[in-house]
Amino acid sequence: MVQTTMSDRATAYEKQAKKRKFTKKTLIYLFLTLFALVNAYPIFWMFLNSFKDNADFAANPFGLPVEWMFENYATAWETARLDVYFLNSIIVSVGAVVITVGVGALASYFLARFTFKMNKMMYGFFVFGLLIPIHATLVPLFILERQLGLLNTHIGLILPYIAFNLPLTIFILTSFMRAFPKDIEESAIMDGCGVFRIFWSIILPMTKPAIATVVILNFINNWNEFSFALVLINDESLKTLPLGLTNFSGQFTTDYGAQMAGLTMAIVPILIIYMFLEKHIVKGMTAGAVKG
Amino acid sequence: MDTVSKNKWPIIIGVAPALLIYLVFAIVPILISFYYSTMEWNGFTDMEFIGLANFREALGDPIFWQSLKNNLFVVAASVFGQVPVALFFALLLNRKLKGGKIFRTIGFMPVVISTVIISLVWGMMFNSRNGLFNQLLTSIGLESWAQNWLGDPKWAMISVCITIIWQFVGLYLIIFLAALQNIPEELYEAAEIDGASGLKKTLNITLPMMKETIIVAVILCISGSLRTFDLIYVMTAGGPGHSTEVLAMYMFDQTFSSTRFGYGSTLSIFIFFFSLGLVYLATLILRRKSVAD
Repeated sequence: MVQTTMSDRATAYEKQAKKRKFTKKTLIYLFLTLFALVNAYPIFWMFLNSFKDNADFAANPFGLPVEWMFENYATAWETARLDVYFLNSIIVSVGAVVITVGVGALASYFLARFTFKMNKMMYGFFVFGLLIPIHATLVPLFILERQLGLLNTHIGLILPYIAFNLPLTIFILTSFMRAFPKDIEESAIMDGCGVFRIFWSIILPMTKPAIATVVILNFINNWNEFSFALVLINDESLKTLPLGLTNFSGQFTTDYGAQMAGLTMAIVPILIIYMFLEKHIVKGMTAGAVKG
Repeated sequence: MDTVSKNKWPIIIGVAPALLIYLVFAIVPILISFYYSTMEWNGFTDMEFIGLANFREALGDPIFWQSLKNNLFVVAASVFGQVPVALFFALLLNRKLKGGKIFRTIGFMPVVISTVIISLVWGMMFNSRNGLFNQLLTSIGLESWAQNWLGDPKWAMISVCITIIWQFVGLYLIIFLAALQNIPEELYEAAEIDGASGLKKTLNITLPMMKETIIVAVILCISGSLRTFDLIYVMTAGGPGHSTEVLAMYMFDQTFSSTRFGYGSTLSIFIFFFSLGLVYLATLILRRKSVAD
């Protein structure tokens, strides 16, 4: 008799605990779903409405398009010169990434693996760049580039991109290279390898994971950059994607569908890259963030 | 190899390219803006030396102070809007959950999208006629709540800040998650033996262990939100009536629309010292507090 009530009570307690756990889980999922919805819906809203004409958009803002207006994409592509902007963005971003990582890795190698008088000072000087607010340099950079004849050129945009990505690049690569054990180069020196040879065939291959992080981080920074492009480029045929998009949406103030179609096309490549390289991107961008 | 290389040339050759580009395009601009800040110059004709007149003008310029105030508003909105929300969701996500990864992926997504695209999309969402928010309010019968979000000085700054918060919550979410996963499991196990409940564990173990990371996040958040320019340029261009003006926006306007290069350079210098100063101050206060605790 007594035993049964006890086990009854136990199961009742267990049930209650289970129930509480279940409610807790449901609540957690509810919050998380809400969070995901708030995060994703703006993009989804844009995507959905990129297939509507104005009348459909005004009458039926949340539902599926009554008629799927694929022509919006054709209109946007033709009017917006997205191909030109894409090409410029690729040239500038890739150009800057290659040079930044190239010269950055070389400098990091010397800063990480050599002892010389100015080493600490030089490293500090590079890392100080993390604190420079880029907007404080827009006006003087514009004047400087005008004097150098670099306004409205790809290289005129690539150079500041390199300069402002070097601090983080050097910061990440140097701390990675410092962690290698000391005796790595010793045998190479015995064999008579030069310092540049050691960099190229020993240190650089070992740094690959950090290089991947830095490449992705640099690429996304450059791909999304707007302020420098705004100030340094005004030739229509040299505009990068973010810059081109701002005046493109000015042309379409009344054609919402085409505007959203253009934005969707601009967003898709980066989202695809994000899906495939999420781990690296997250690592790179938070490594960039945690630099302090 | 930590040996003093006898030959200095390889070091010089190796560091020079990076140093040269960094010097010319990041450091020199800061230095020459000091020079231009003492000039009255329209960018084309001859300059005229006017000493500190530009600095005096800035300190007496109501729009300058308004911009500074707005900058601080953005900083405050970001710190109080992003960090607690990110921390809350990071705590929710820091457990074995089916589909946890999906929430993380979606959470971080806005961070990789260019600010220009985000500004354009949110600009359309805030649109007074066909925007998402007014449509949403209309569809649930709250038509009277509909606003001209970006066109009304009362709402413009708030709308802009909501967009900024939305854009970067994911960044701090991921930073916090990484820190949470570094907290040793044994601490929780010990607390469980002592009979600590979930909330108690969060308050007594998780948050104290997270202190360093939270401080870093707040400092990052301050320095990041001080750099707000793209978003405001695209969404409101500082309007209506300077209600969303920030220092960088005002500097851009003064330099390139009013062609006052000297005054623009002066504002650049203010931005430079204001950013460094605020980040330094925040570091000082937060670090001291954490040491005192």
